[in-house]
Formats: sequence, C-alpha cells, structure tokens
Amino acid sequence: MTDEIRNLAKLDRLIHEPSRLAIMAVLSACENADFTYLLQATGLSKGNLSAHLSKLEAGGYIQITKKFKGKYPSTVSALTPAGRRAFEAYRKQYMAFVLGLAKDE
Amino acid sequence: MISQLNVEELIQKTRRYEYLDGLRDLQLAVLFGFSGLCVWLGFQPFWFRLIGNMTKMFGRWAAWLGMLPLVLMLLAVWGMTRLMDYLRSHWLWRKTGMVRARSWVVPRHITLISAGILLGGIAFGFVLRRLGWIANEGILNMLWTATGWSFGYTLVAMGRNLGLRRYLWFGVLGAVLSTAMLFLPLSFALFALAFGLLWFCLLVISGLITWRKAALNVKRGA
Repeated sequence: MTDEIRNLAKLDRLIHEPSRLAIMAVLSACENADFTYLLQATGLSKGNLSAHLSKLEAGGYIQITKKFKGKYPSTVSALTPAGRRAFEAYRKQYMAFVLGLAKDE
Repeated sequence: MISQLNVEELIQKTRRYEYLDGLRDLQLAVLFGFSGLCVWLGFQPFWFRLIGNMTKMFGRWAAWLGMLPLVLMLLAVWGMTRLMDYLRSHWLWRKTGMVRARSWVVPRHITLISAGILLGGIAFGFVLRRLGWIANEGILNMLWTATGWSFGYTLVAMGRNLGLRRYLWFGVLGAVLSTAMLFLPLSFALFALAFGLLWFCLLVISGLITWRKAALNVKRGA
C-alpha cells in the first residue's frame, strides 16, 4: 500500500485538482476550445474557470489567446506541448495507481 | 461543476462535438463528389478538345486550364470549410462554444491499417487480374474499390472510437457497395464518377440526417 501512496504523492498537483483536470481533459481532446465551450463542458462558473485557466497558463500547460470576433471578445485556450505531455503522464500515473489499488483488493 | 468527474467521458464528448452537426460529413461528400467528377472529366474527349482549342487560340499557357477541375475541387472544399465556420460561429455553436478538432481523429494505428488496406486492395487487384477474374482496367478500378475499403474502415473505426453509430453503418455500406461496383462493366473514368457519386450520396444522407437533428436541437434551445 505504501507504494501506491508514494505514487499518489507523485501526481502532478496542478492537474490533480478536479476543475483543472476537467479543463485539461477537454483541451487534450481538441486543438483548442473557446471560453464558452469550456464553461458548458466543465460546468464551472465564469470566475472559477477564469482563475483555473490562469493557473494552468502560469504553469505553462495552456496557452490563452484573446481576440475579437466582430465586436465580441473571444478567449481561446489550447494545451501547450508541455501541457499535453504532462496530461498524458498524469493519466498514466493515475491509471497505474488505480490498477495498484485493484490488485491489493 | 460536474459532481463525478469522468475524464474519459469529457474527452469523448469533446472529440465527438465536431461530428454532431453533420457538416464534416457534407464537406467530405463535396470532396468525394468533386474527385470523381474531376477524374471523369479528365478522361473525356470533349475536355481534351476544349483544352486543345484553347491552347491553339491563347498559347501554351492555356493548357494549364486542364487543372481547372482540381482548382475548383480545392475551392469547393475551402468554401465548405468557410461555410462550416460561419454556420457554427453564428448559429450552431453560438451558445455552446467553438472547438477546433485535432487533425488526427483516430489513433495512428488506425491510419496505418487504413493505408495497409488501400495498398493490400491494390495488390489484390493484381492477383484477380492474374487469375483472369477482372480485365486490365479492373486493376485501375481496384484503386477506387480499395479506397472505398480503406475509407469505410476509417469510418467504422471512427464510429467505434467516438461512439457514433451512423459511421459504422455508412462505413460498412460504402465498403460493400464499393466492392459490388467492381463487378460492373465500367471504364476507369465512369468508375471514378460512380465511386465519387456513391460516397457523395452516402455522406450527404449521413450529413443531412445529422444536420437536421442538430438544427432542431438549436431551435428548441433558442
């Protein structure tokens, strides 16, 4: 069991938070997505989503582009190559942890 | 916030989003339809005569007009992409948000298998010719049939991967009909036209059914 706990501690904290994990999962499945899509896909509030996007951007996992579509501002987010690698690594680690738990049972 | 975070479901939902309005099917239909038409036109005597006469009248550069169908095909696909973007940003996805899909929809091994099917199909054509089951032109026609198998397989794999059942049906149907066409006494040009029209019709049906559902959903939501 200690091995599993050690592995759990190794999980990327920036991604492991559920809201950020949801954002990373959505962005991993596409080239980019706008703020409106992320809002409806993750179910987060505007303020929450904005705060988590900023944290992921500061961590170098996503790139945020702000532009105008006619009169309206549009915020588009995309995973950076480092973000894509980090998310894949997280998924592998997490799966290994879950499989480890299942073995113990 | 979603109460039980299901990462796989979120990934699946986002990947599927691109295909839920049928516009991608319609774009592919345009591509197939135009490809068949271009190849057919390229083998027509009247087309050769037209290019020949134009070359006589306007000089050698007019021979480049022979590329016109290809340019028109590219323009049609580009136009369809612009139309898709417009419809999605102004109507379909206005409330649900914009997503740009990844270029590799299916895992790499599916693409490799698909390429293998295409090459295997062409090799199979040579075997059939050796056995005397098809004429010389049949080998060329096998190019299209193998393309049908390869594309059909990709659709089926996409359908399974994204959980979209329509692609399973249309993929299988397209591959079977592409095979059946091999036994029709068609010249290479006519085969290309028939093949293009076959996939055009299948993809238009698939696209329009899906488009109708998506449009109704948007209307209900408005």
